[in-house]
Amino acid sequence: MTPSKGHNKELAERAYRVRRNAVRMGEVQGQGYIAQALDIADVLATAYFHAMRYRPEDPNWEGRDRFLLSNGHYAIALYAALIEAGIIPEEELETYGSDESRLPMSGMASYTPGMEMSGGSLGVGMSIAVGMAMGLKRKKSDSRVYILFSDGELDEGSVWEAMMSAAHHKLDNIIAVVDVNNQQADGPSTQVMAFEPLGQKLEAFGWFVQRIDGNDLDAVVDAFDAAKDHKAPKPRIIVADTLMGKGVPFLEAREKNHFIRVDAHEWQLALAALDEGRLA
Amino acid sequence: MTDRAPPPNDNGFVPLDLDQLREMARINRIDVADMFAAAGNGHYGSCYSCTEIMTALYFSVMRVDSRNPERPDRDRFIFSKAHAAPTLYSALIRRGFLPEEWIPEYETKVGVKLMTHQSRRYQPGVDASGGALGHGLSVGAGMAVAAKFDRSDHRVYVLLGDGELHEGSIWEAAAFAPKHKLDNLVAIVDRNRLSVDGRVDEVLPLEPLADRWKSFGWDVAEVDGHDLEALVKVLDVPRIGGSGKPLVVIAHTVKGRGVSFMEDVRSWHFDVISPQQDAALRLELSEPLK
Amino acid sequence: MSLLDDPKRLGEHVADFRARHPKKPMRQEFGAIMLALAERRPDVFAVTADLMYATGLVEFGARFPDRLVNVGIAEQNMIGVAAGLGGAGKLPVVCGYAAFIALRAVEQVKVDCAYNETKVILAGLSSGLTYGVGGPTHQTYEDLATLRAMPNTIVIVPNDTVQAALAMDAAVEHPGNTPIYLRLGRGPEHVLTKPGDPFRIGRANRLCDGDDVCLVANGALTFEAYLAADILRGEGIAAEVLDMHTVKPIDREAILDAAGRVDAMVVAEEHSRSGGLGAAVLEVLEDGHDFPVARIGLEDEYPPIGPMPDLRHALGLSGEAIARRARLLLDRKRSRRGR
Repeated sequence: MTPSKGHNKELAERAYRVRRNAVRMGEVQGQGYIAQALDIADVLATAYFHAMRYRPEDPNWEGRDRFLLSNGHYAIALYAALIEAGIIPEEELETYGSDESRLPMSGMASYTPGMEMSGGSLGVGMSIAVGMAMGLKRKKSDSRVYILFSDGELDEGSVWEAMMSAAHHKLDNIIAVVDVNNQQADGPSTQVMAFEPLGQKLEAFGWFVQRIDGNDLDAVVDAFDAAKDHKAPKPRIIVADTLMGKGVPFLEAREKNHFIRVDAHEWQLALAALDEGRLA
Repeated sequence: MTDRAPPPNDNGFVPLDLDQLREMARINRIDVADMFAAAGNGHYGSCYSCTEIMTALYFSVMRVDSRNPERPDRDRFIFSKAHAAPTLYSALIRRGFLPEEWIPEYETKVGVKLMTHQSRRYQPGVDASGGALGHGLSVGAGMAVAAKFDRSDHRVYVLLGDGELHEGSIWEAAAFAPKHKLDNLVAIVDRNRLSVDGRVDEVLPLEPLADRWKSFGWDVAEVDGHDLEALVKVLDVPRIGGSGKPLVVIAHTVKGRGVSFMEDVRSWHFDVISPQQDAALRLELSEPLK
Repeated sequence: MSLLDDPKRLGEHVADFRARHPKKPMRQEFGAIMLALAERRPDVFAVTADLMYATGLVEFGARFPDRLVNVGIAEQNMIGVAAGLGGAGKLPVVCGYAAFIALRAVEQVKVDCAYNETKVILAGLSSGLTYGVGGPTHQTYEDLATLRAMPNTIVIVPNDTVQAALAMDAAVEHPGNTPIYLRLGRGPEHVLTKPGDPFRIGRANRLCDGDDVCLVANGALTFEAYLAADILRGEGIAAEVLDMHTVKPIDREAILDAAGRVDAMVVAEEHSRSGGLGAAVLEVLEDGHDFPVARIGLEDEYPPIGPMPDLRHALGLSGEAIARRARLLLDRKRSRRGR
């Protein structure tokens, strides 16, 4: 579905499957943060199938790259990627959000293999990333810390405390991605609390910044590569502008899609829309 | 400065001219030294970096009224780096809000009116109690929102320490104020470059500081924080018809300014003073600073 | 067989009792409370941190855009801005979630509001377990402990949406320069209160009379205590039910009065057993009492995640559990006395 210059055909297929997993989980509960899962699927596919180092059969392998989900309500998106990566068996998808499931609706480190932190309270992930990245450096590990957070989290002062720390400690092993879908609980993020010029702010706080279309797989791949290859001893951040509901036109068009309820019949329509995009 | 009209309805107060301001800054430093002498110790460095800022605000810029400390249209002053409260006490004493007799009682026994951090409970003229860092800009922003809502022409001044900018809550408020176009809000950063643990920028860097504030949507002015003339000029923002943006004044200062053995010395953030040192300090402060 | 020992009959009885008390959701009702307040009081501001929809303020924002201050996801700033508005003579009502007011921004509540003697109404929705599926980050069982411990605060836990409106009115009229915390729920809960019912800050309401046992509760557990009293009646036990909606200042008189009559006391709350209502009741009784006091609340561990109200009941916060505990205390006490 995602336009690709060719060499990312395999990634495009991965992204399609991540989206598909997310929609199927949404169907189990009839609702969820589906639009976010769809917008961030290209980033997750690139992280898990291009950039990151991990062993699906051994999620706690010491040499792995860490992936922190600061925006815990995106758990459905990460589960979709973890399933595709073989870290979580696909059958468990049916248990999403039910009692006793390893896939609760908000991300919990103690429940889910591959989940590195318990999210839910916004604005705390970046501080954890700083600590982890310092620890890895101290251990002379070359593992990286990837962290995904949402544009709304930029309202939290704690994020800016952590931003200052990461730059100060030259944590070039952090690759952060901020999902700028410009949609938070109370409406368009820029209307709730203006955060632009975001690139300028992040640069002023000492980060290596790239801003991309987060639904252009080639751009995402290039950005991850550049983040890894960059020479300056700075933490790296990718500002990914994304489209809520990407890949399912009727969800893209929904005006208020922060947390969506989807009618029973629409889940099949959503899957069909994804299939259509995959062929195209 | 003599051509400036006095602030209206201000209990007849006439803004001081430059020489008078310099003398008042000297008195402020002596008052502070008297308080710390009573207590046996104090935040000398933190106070002396903002003496001129405080003097410019209370003796030239701000509209305050000692006969009616709570008058609704007074300019507000939020002292966010409240550990330098003795500079504020001196200003309030010399403007007639507080009695001079309180100075030798500072921190001496239970129940005295002046302690380390200012408190609305005990001191008329104080607009917000302080002591916890990182709070003042939010409180000031709330007051500025209310002033806009009431169409009042008063202004809100918030004095921040530079180390305080490490607090994330400051950046929450920094994002908030421009969105509400609070051009009646002036944040002053006392950029003395030292905090308790050392160089602020070695503990956690703040530069490029002006760019950071600009990127958050603020007007930025940089000034020598000991130049009274420059301070008065930059702090006296228009009461109406402002720029539509809040202003941050980055005041470059020297911690412990005015006392040679304290200047830019980390340990004088807070220290005990010996009788010999106290005598040397008073000798140095016998004349206004050049 | 007694009602409590007959699961089938008990289940039917409880289901019937619940059915007779319809439910109302807090979120929507709270929005209506705020709207009515804003119409009445031009000095009222709503301050929120990206929870305008979640606290039902959409209509408020449409009608009074100048008086809705949304600070974004920045809770410390939210409390500070509210304190600034209060300091400038406005009446700010912070509309947020209990966790973010009473935990994340608790220093701002202490310094900027309580210590600074600034009146701010803090409406903490989704308190206790009410955001069941949100997990421990969005459940809040520590707020009474934090806010009760700091001087110059008032802490109120209304038992339903109607009492929430009465409590809001009382908070608005309260003359003190004090932050007033209203601990509110989230989803639909049984409604016990009627619009004209009495409500005074610091004065408990007695919902049932009885001299055998006193059941003290607040919030949604008031209904459960009320249900427990109904069950106990079938056991021949007369239970007094005290709706202790104000945790601070607590109604010492009501507690000491009951203490002089009853043989046991059960305190039930949707809060940690440490530092909440149970602790406040025991503080009143610290000069000595010769009857058992049981505190029903949350144990010192993170509860599981699950939908409400099933989660509440699974953790023993139910009318049946309160009734059982009361009967057990009385049995023990009376058998000892018999010896």
